[in-house]
Amino acid sequence: MTSRVLGRANLGLTFPAALAALLLLLALAAPLVAPDDPAAGRLADRLLDPGSPGHPLGTDGQGRDLLSRLIWAGRASLTGGFVPVAVAAVAGTLLGVVAGLGGRTTEQALLRLLDVLYAFPGVLLAIAVASLLTPGLGATVLALSVVLTPAVARVAFTETRRVRSAEYLAAARVSGAGWGALVLRQVAPVVAPVVLVYASSLVGLAIMYAAGLSFLGLGVAPPTAEWGAMLEELRPSLLTHPWVAVQPALVILVVSVVFNTLGEALRTRIGDTAAQLPPSAPAMAGRLPRPIAAKRVGV
Amino acid sequence: MTRFLLRRLLLAVPTLLGVTAVVFATVALVPGDPVAAFLGPGAPPEARRELTERLGLEQPLPVRYADWLGHALTGDLGTSISGQRPVADLLLPALGQTLTLTAAAFLLVLAGGVALGALGALRPRSAGGRISGALSALAVSAPQYSVALLLIAVFAVGLRWLPAGGTHDVFGDGGPIDLARHLILPAVAAALVPLGLTARVFRAALGGVLAGELADSLRARGLRPAAVLRHCVHNASPALLTIGGLQLAYLLEGVIFVETLFAWPGIGRLLYDALTARDLPLVQGGVLMVAVAFVGVNILVDAAHAVIDPRVRN
Repeated sequence: MTSRVLGRANLGLTFPAALAALLLLLALAAPLVAPDDPAAGRLADRLLDPGSPGHPLGTDGQGRDLLSRLIWAGRASLTGGFVPVAVAAVAGTLLGVVAGLGGRTTEQALLRLLDVLYAFPGVLLAIAVASLLTPGLGATVLALSVVLTPAVARVAFTETRRVRSAEYLAAARVSGAGWGALVLRQVAPVVAPVVLVYASSLVGLAIMYAAGLSFLGLGVAPPTAEWGAMLEELRPSLLTHPWVAVQPALVILVVSVVFNTLGEALRTRIGDTAAQLPPSAPAMAGRLPRPIAAKRVGV
Repeated sequence: MTRFLLRRLLLAVPTLLGVTAVVFATVALVPGDPVAAFLGPGAPPEARRELTERLGLEQPLPVRYADWLGHALTGDLGTSISGQRPVADLLLPALGQTLTLTAAAFLLVLAGGVALGALGALRPRSAGGRISGALSALAVSAPQYSVALLLIAVFAVGLRWLPAGGTHDVFGDGGPIDLARHLILPAVAAALVPLGLTARVFRAALGGVLAGELADSLRARGLRPAAVLRHCVHNASPALLTIGGLQLAYLLEGVIFVETLFAWPGIGRLLYDALTARDLPLVQGGVLMVAVAFVGVNILVDAAHAVIDPRVRN
């Protein structure tokens, strides 16, 4: 029974993980796998339907091979999904831990700031930030980092508060640990796994937002291929060549499902494993995988 | 109750001030010299000085913020660069269109979320329960713009069942049926993600109540399954309210993509046009309006919560 349950849980994790790895690999190996130059097109071949000779997925309005562009686009799109999450994970952990350990004033200041950032719907905050910057991948990454950091900070803050009065921290303090050592060696190892699991569940969302920003013209500049930008480029052909125009939309949908499923699986999986461990002795928390309550990780 | 509402409204004041500060910062921090942009590079220094003074640009930032906030409070959000009209005049009619679309989508979210969630909670191990779980997972990961494009391709271009965009037919009567036909596809596209989330939360809440002591004791008293279910649904409804309110707010952010793709003349579409035209006053006005609506919806949800559950009031 146990092995069956575990086996199923494993499949639920390995399948989306394999697909995600494949997507990353395709993007990395774009120069090797893409059949054509993503930026070069022949106007004579414009808007060919899928299944045309030499262009299995057809061509766009400038006669560029869609399959090649979709593969190359993975680079910018996945960067736009992963980098902001990484930035937010680091910045959010720092903010959350400092606020969690700091005094009342620090704590209140941070919480009020997070409240304000939370008051914006995510896409709007990203738009407000990105519209200030020169359109490009950098603008997307910066804007999404700003959007995702408060959520991570809140998770890190809650975790820090949970261990703040733990005896092992008091022990570290009386043995003369300074502030830096306290944060880096005692608190961060406890908070990090929770943040990592939480951050992994943000990747799907970030990819979706990144493509959305490019769709709005705030992301990569042409002729760079990016899924959201391709969606916008092909939009005028929607009524005449629907099967060409929907391809970026389908790709974003599939990628979003893959990464969301993976994030979800990681959350439940690690939550499940942790539930089987004995409750951690606070003194060991820095060295042992600590139980993570999967339910509490969400925003 | 009145005291609770007053307190909640007061608590929203610092949040709103923060929101306006962020929006103002996007105006103030924008790179480049607005005076040079307006007058062109070769403008005489006197003209430059005069315009700088007229725009109040020589004032320190906090003074400019207070000034801007005062104008915003009286409904003066500046003049749109591309439209050459007051931003508020452009935003208000668009707000009505956005609310129509949001209301339609919200109905879908509630109806679909409750149906899908209840199916999953009642028969978690049946085929229906599994399908409901898979459907909500798929819905949650479906970006609005992808869904919108696919819906247009299938139902408007392929099958020709429904219009691909706009709010009414050019030669139609523009009556309620015409409007409803134009609403279906954008409402579905906007509703999908919130619908999936609502279904998940309702499934977990109802499932929890059905497996708990309340359901056991009701069954032990010999109530019919339908009556047990009725009590349990009642018990699970606060969760529905909370998540429903959050989703209403989420719909406000999804409309920018949906309205753009369906040419629906709401705030989202206006924002998209403003972004493409680099019309900053209009972008800021739109962002401010949606953010304020977002805070307002959250207050309404809290109030509704307090009406249903007296414990919240204290």
